[in-house]
Amino acid sequence: MKGMRFAFLCKEKPEKNGKKIAIIGAGPAGLSAAGYLVCHGYDVHIYDKLPEPGGLMLFGIPEFRIPIYRVRKGYEELKNIFEVTFYPKTKVISSKKEEEGDEFVENFVEFEELVKEYDAVLIATGTWESTIPKIEGVELDGVYPALDYLFKIKSAKLGHVSWEEVPKIDGKSVVVVGAGHTAVDAAMESLLLGAERVYLVYRRTINEAPAGAYEINLLKQRGVRWLELATPVRIIGEYGKVKAIELQKCKLGEPDESGRRRPIPIEGSNFQIDVDMVVFAVGQKATPPFNEDIGIAVDKKGRIVVDSRHMTSREGVFAAGDVVIGPSKVGRAVLDGLVAAESMHMWLSGR
Amino acid sequence: MRRLLHVDYSLCIGCETCQGVCEFIHHGKPNIRIYYTMSGLPIPINCRHCEKAPCMEVCPSNAIYKDSDGAVIIDPKKCIGCLMCLAVCPFGAPSFDVRVKVVTKCDMCADRRRVGMEPACSEMCPAEAIFFGKPEEIEDEIRMRTAEKIARERISSKSLEGVGRLL
Ligand code: SF4
Ligand code: SF4
Repeated sequence: MKGMRFAFLCKEKPEKNGKKIAIIGAGPAGLSAAGYLVCHGYDVHIYDKLPEPGGLMLFGIPEFRIPIYRVRKGYEELKNIFEVTFYPKTKVISSKKEEEGDEFVENFVEFEELVKEYDAVLIATGTWESTIPKIEGVELDGVYPALDYLFKIKSAKLGHVSWEEVPKIDGKSVVVVGAGHTAVDAAMESLLLGAERVYLVYRRTINEAPAGAYEINLLKQRGVRWLELATPVRIIGEYGKVKAIELQKCKLGEPDESGRRRPIPIEGSNFQIDVDMVVFAVGQKATPPFNEDIGIAVDKKGRIVVDSRHMTSREGVFAAGDVVIGPSKVGRAVLDGLVAAESMHMWLSGR
Repeated sequence: MRRLLHVDYSLCIGCETCQGVCEFIHHGKPNIRIYYTMSGLPIPINCRHCEKAPCMEVCPSNAIYKDSDGAVIIDPKKCIGCLMCLAVCPFGAPSFDVRVKVVTKCDMCADRRRVGMEPACSEMCPAEAIFFGKPEEIEDEIRMRTAEKIARERISSKSLEGVGRLL
């Protein structure tokens, strides 16, 4: 039962080189970058809004996939052996803005201050804003963005909040909208927490499901009701709480720009199911530590734009992981963090 | 001393971290890669450092040898690039490297082991699905994980019968 060795590139801490780097975000990209940098003698400070490092590996992905000890022991090694300084519950921002996972924030740090204080800055803040479709009833009690839902469950499991603060799932009917990894995880956690009924609703078919047919079939085996070719049109409430969801059937049309066949809603095919909770797992957006123009370019989707050196449009400010590439796998973020750290090292040593 | 590098497919979550770190230390050419099956299941494929390695037996130029930990290694100076090892490997692990024009594959991180570190994939796998160590140590760890899983199932839930090791 060992921890992830984020500093896998070296056996022991080398001599310090006197340079200081700030990393914003302690997820897989930030921690791997920190691992690279401490192995090259840098002093690394990591700022993160959550109460402990790990990002989605701890606060999103269920523990039956990634064991909690694996991440905890991993960042403890960075802290205790490699002397990385962690600033938890600390949000770096150029002006205040809210997104999921903000509950724990106690301190705010100005982005510009970091740029001034450190030799280089790495932004690895991920994608912490869930997309919620603009339909009737999304404001009702019982509607959750999937990340928020998983975040609350994991926060309780990790001991940061009491179970009182987690939505009561035991005995409830839950509908999860989406078919990616987050949707699958939300459905699975619902089952494990004793939901009476769990529905998974997807507008395409199992063949297009981003999580893959295997994961969907596994859920079906465990009693999840899979409703494909259906899309939510409104959520029906009673006394401010979710009571039912109205879905519309779809058929598949021509392929769209993603190469997958476009779902087309079928007129007059609406139907309702009674549910207590609606969880939307239909995508997440990049959350850079600024929401105004501070000279760092972002693309149409809000992702930070970097050059081949992983540098943003501001000299000395680098970015890596999901905040650059969009929601991706842990391994993709790890690799991106390593490559960015290597490039920071090159830049700082004048190569 | 014999060491195993063992991937437990039932614990793998397909996160691609092993591939990412391997790609990083091998400058863009990972020796462990995730393949997605038709049913959408991610499977990491790498050299399993066979005890009776068919690749080693078939190599016409004796380029493949075993080191003291039992890692099966290709000597790039002796390899003639005939791909016989790929032909007989049950896992398709050997890979022709167009840059150096010989066949390369996982060497169980020989450089790292020399200085007392473990293969990078096993150090970084978030799911701890890749095991490295003495055979009996690894087997204990796997059984320990299985015990944890059984405990979790017994504690947590009513409706989970007939599940794989993953849960
Ligand atoms: S790092 Fe581990 S869990 Fe992730 S793909 Fe590789 S073997 Fe599977
Ligand atoms: S290359 Fe293939 S045959 Fe050779 S040791 Fe590895 S897995 Fe076995």
